[in-house]
Amino acid sequence: MKEVLATVLANAPIAEGVYSMTFSAGTPMPVRAGQFVNLGVGDGAHLLRRPIAICKAEGENITVCYQLKGEGTRLLSRLPVGGKVSVLLPLGNGFFVREEEKKIALVGGGVGIFPMISVLREYVPKGKEIYSYIGFRNKNAVCCLDGLEKSTALTVVTDDGSYGKKMNAVQAFATDMDRVKPDVVLSCGPVPMLRALKEVMQGTGIPCYVSLEERMGCGIGACLVCVCNKTDGAHARVCKDGPVFNIEEVIL
Amino acid sequence: MADLSVSLCGINLKNPVIGASGTVGFGREFDEIYDISVLGGLSTKGLTLEPRPGNAVPRIAESRGVILNAVGLQNPGVESFIEHDLAWLQGKGIAVIANVAGSTLEDYEKICARLDGLVDMVELNISCPNVRCGGMALGIRPENVKEVTRLSKGALKRTPLMVKLSPNVESIAVNARAAEEGGADCLSLINTLTGMAVDIERRRPVLANNTGGVSGAGVKPIAVRMVYEVAHAVSLPVVGMGGITCAEDALEFIMAGATAVQVGTANFTDAMAMPKIIEGLNAWCDRHGVERLADLRDTLTLN
Repeated sequence: MKEVLATVLANAPIAEGVYSMTFSAGTPMPVRAGQFVNLGVGDGAHLLRRPIAICKAEGENITVCYQLKGEGTRLLSRLPVGGKVSVLLPLGNGFFVREEEKKIALVGGGVGIFPMISVLREYVPKGKEIYSYIGFRNKNAVCCLDGLEKSTALTVVTDDGSYGKKMNAVQAFATDMDRVKPDVVLSCGPVPMLRALKEVMQGTGIPCYVSLEERMGCGIGACLVCVCNKTDGAHARVCKDGPVFNIEEVIL
Repeated sequence: MADLSVSLCGINLKNPVIGASGTVGFGREFDEIYDISVLGGLSTKGLTLEPRPGNAVPRIAESRGVILNAVGLQNPGVESFIEHDLAWLQGKGIAVIANVAGSTLEDYEKICARLDGLVDMVELNISCPNVRCGGMALGIRPENVKEVTRLSKGALKRTPLMVKLSPNVESIAVNARAAEEGGADCLSLINTLTGMAVDIERRRPVLANNTGGVSGAGVKPIAVRMVYEVAHAVSLPVVGMGGITCAEDALEFIMAGATAVQVGTANFTDAMAMPKIIEGLNAWCDRHGVERLADLRDTLTLN
């Protein structure tokens, strides 16, 4: 975990309202799939960093994809190539796939697809079979297909049927689950999607891990701002104890 | 190389920079980024007698130049702190300030008695605006400020007492004098200002708690004014905070009368904020031929 003043190498739109930024951290960063960075907006008016999932990490170069949500992300989207950005990284626990888990199902929706790409990049070279079920709002939101196509099998769907079948990522996965029989399911997406996934996973005995999102303060576990509710009644810090949790252990 | 050390209630701080309660936990997380032994001190996450779960999320929001928080005193309880974190934190060689909160006067008395002699100082949070039945009421009225200070001080035989003042009051100078009369050894201010941020698409407050404490760069002028008022209303040392992001900000507080400063929100914007402020204080003193930072305290001349 480090704070670095990174140099922007690329920062451009890749779909409607979605940008991809690659920056050099200046030093090689050991990054696990599912970890995130906390980006400083750097204008003096926006005091909170923006937590964003890592898509790709190659040596000192890190790529993140982010949706324009408000002023902060809009300011990030205007950072020029060669510009500087303060980055705290790598943060969070990330996804961990056990040796004996050979077949992975990825269920990603919306901006939740980006950490799925980091899983593909880490686990395809390790010989895992990866079945990806990816949902976008519509065809204008479709992006990162080159990264997703590393999957053993890829199903892309949209909410309105303008690209692939008209369904959501959880429905696509649910109709295929008995055929594929994954050893583990990894997911990220909006909370209603994760709730639906939790229902699908109930009683299957297949372990399922989800990456959660929450408004954060420090991003490193000190301020207790970004908590989620655990089924045992405790609060867990999304930034430090997560963002990846066993779906059975969190209340969605 | 200037002498940055300051003395606060007989405790020697190697520099005047203290991590503000609620922004630095018990120090472990920031210690993963830099060695926190460079700090003057650390004020812990607000401790209560029993563990507390805190508020629902979202607990944080942003507005221009400031943030709002409503964490609701989530903490593992004072016993957990003593058992798991205290020795580690003391090993860092910095002033360990236990920030404490309670729902009743008896809570304050009990938690102070428990921490007496174990930490370098106890900081009384009587102004946390987020717990409906607790802090706020005690921090608003001068007679309550005096009473909670008196009872807490009575339970602290060996450890100095710092009372953290709320800015959401009629007169912070009057409340400062009340704390002084109650037996406080020093004062810290300002706690957060109560505010609200609205999500106009949902037509709801952003924070689950509806209101929250406003902090960050934007509150600094208010904080400096209040520190000036309080430092000149009492004869106790004052620890200033509110929107400090750099050495120059810290110097405003020191010149206005603060013996030391606390840094909070800036830790979120820049994880290295505190070490940078310490370096910056040294550089400023060197540039200005100041040998002892402590000599800059209360050197403000009014127009």
